[in-house]
Amino acid sequence: MLQQTLTFTEGVKTACGAAPGTPFVLLGNFEVEDEWAKGETGLPSVGGRSAAAIVNRMDEFALLLAGAGDHVVLKSRPDNGYLDYLDGLGLDLPGILVTDVNDPAHTVAVDALASPRLQQRLHELALGGARLWPHGMSALEERLCALTSLTPALPPAALVKRVNSKIYSRRLATELGLAQARGWECESAEEFAEVARAAAATSLAGGRRVGVKDAYGVSGKGIVVVDDERRMQQLVRMVQRTATRSGNPWLSLVVEEWADKAVDLNYHFTVSVDGGVRFDFVKEAITDRGVHKGHRFPARISDRHAAEVEDAAQRIGARLAAEGFHGPVGVDAIITADGELLPVLEINARNNMSTYQTRLQERFVRQGSLATARQYDIRPAGHRPFARTRDILGELLLTAEDGRGLLVNNHATVNAAATGEGPHNGRLYGLLIARDEAELDALDTAIAHRLAEENADHE
Amino acid sequence: MTTAAATGQQYVTAVVAALSEVLGEPLPDATPATRLFDELHLDSTSVLSLLMALEDSLDLEVDPESLEQHHLETVGSLAGYVAEIR
Repeated sequence: MLQQTLTFTEGVKTACGAAPGTPFVLLGNFEVEDEWAKGETGLPSVGGRSAAAIVNRMDEFALLLAGAGDHVVLKSRPDNGYLDYLDGLGLDLPGILVTDVNDPAHTVAVDALASPRLQQRLHELALGGARLWPHGMSALEERLCALTSLTPALPPAALVKRVNSKIYSRRLATELGLAQARGWECESAEEFAEVARAAAATSLAGGRRVGVKDAYGVSGKGIVVVDDERRMQQLVRMVQRTATRSGNPWLSLVVEEWADKAVDLNYHFTVSVDGGVRFDFVKEAITDRGVHKGHRFPARISDRHAAEVEDAAQRIGARLAAEGFHGPVGVDAIITADGELLPVLEINARNNMSTYQTRLQERFVRQGSLATARQYDIRPAGHRPFARTRDILGELLLTAEDGRGLLVNNHATVNAAATGEGPHNGRLYGLLIARDEAELDALDTAIAHRLAEENADHE
Repeated sequence: MTTAAATGQQYVTAVVAALSEVLGEPLPDATPATRLFDELHLDSTSVLSLLMALEDSLDLEVDPESLEQHHLETVGSLAGYVAEIR
């Protein structure tokens, strides 16, 4: 069994069958779902990935999850001012390895595979017993392990992909008798047409909306919400046309009644190779139009819901262990407007956004204080060094002495989309820490205001 | 106004109406230069719904996979895409 006295990261190492001191190499291959979705047919894919350059720089989150004896692979070296800031907070940072190439359109994993110098260094670390801990395990990270002799910390990609499918989540919830929204799984275009008719006759006829989701879609993406039968049939025709053109009748979709939610939750547990399950935490997810904006903890839920969440975590974890899975898992859940907990919206058997906050949480969120992991959308006029962010935030930036304010936990996303000409969209991520609710809200408002004043198009 | 300009304006109006339906709010200030993701905060999740709304209002059939990134930059570029496939 896992021991609760270990730090979060040490606990993950033990769960993966390594001694707590084993060096890990972390790789933040965010949106690994895109790799899992290769060869799978879902909803017709459309453009709109304008934020790919920013998402690919979410790799920098891994810097603050790894410990002093570990390494992290990044697309570029972090801003020196940012590293000094983290140093000043007393964080023992990991060794930093940088890919030989940095293509903004590519994930860190794709860049790493095109980086012979990096691979040589990884090979040296492999000889010292290092293991690769990616954000999520796909065929790309397996290839990187094969090229460098790094031992994968996580199970094989095919298994990890399977347990991340929303079809798997629904079937697992049914098998375990966990409450879930009425829904259907579809594995062919023909089956989707039948399911669409069933959804129209039940949910839509009853005035309830229905969500059609890609089984391998990134959380909050690859979803269409439908509120009448005509639109549902239109979607069926669109999917059938795509299937006919591709000549592949198979697809992976789930159709679910859209529950009226009062609270979005994300809970996290770690499954051990010996079958043990460590419950890590439950956080309240802040979403805006279905897209993740941050996490608040502790979550504002009742003791009964907290107990139900822990029970679900143990049961899902035990089932995943029986499949041969080990590693960190996050599950999205909701509390409906009627106060019912639906404990499995989807299983993310990979690192979650909240995974990357754990080390900072252990270090900076003291008993009785509150924290919200936030992202601020910004529009700098040009490349913005950390020193400038520091000036803008001023006393709102968390310091070791004060222990309150914004602890910036990714600065690469600020400049990821900079082109060198004119303004660009960016994101500033941080952990906002305060003593109480009022202070948290005040800090949040002040930071949002100050950042907005610095936007290129601010009037 | 020339016939081509009037047709172009018709597609812009249809795109704005479809966006308004999907985003659930009136868009009185939208122009051909309005950026879909940056200014209107359209997300990738809403794009399919947007295309279905356009299919309805203009009585056409869209192949979502023929849509490229640049078609989704502004109201005007999406109206141009609609004009192309029409």
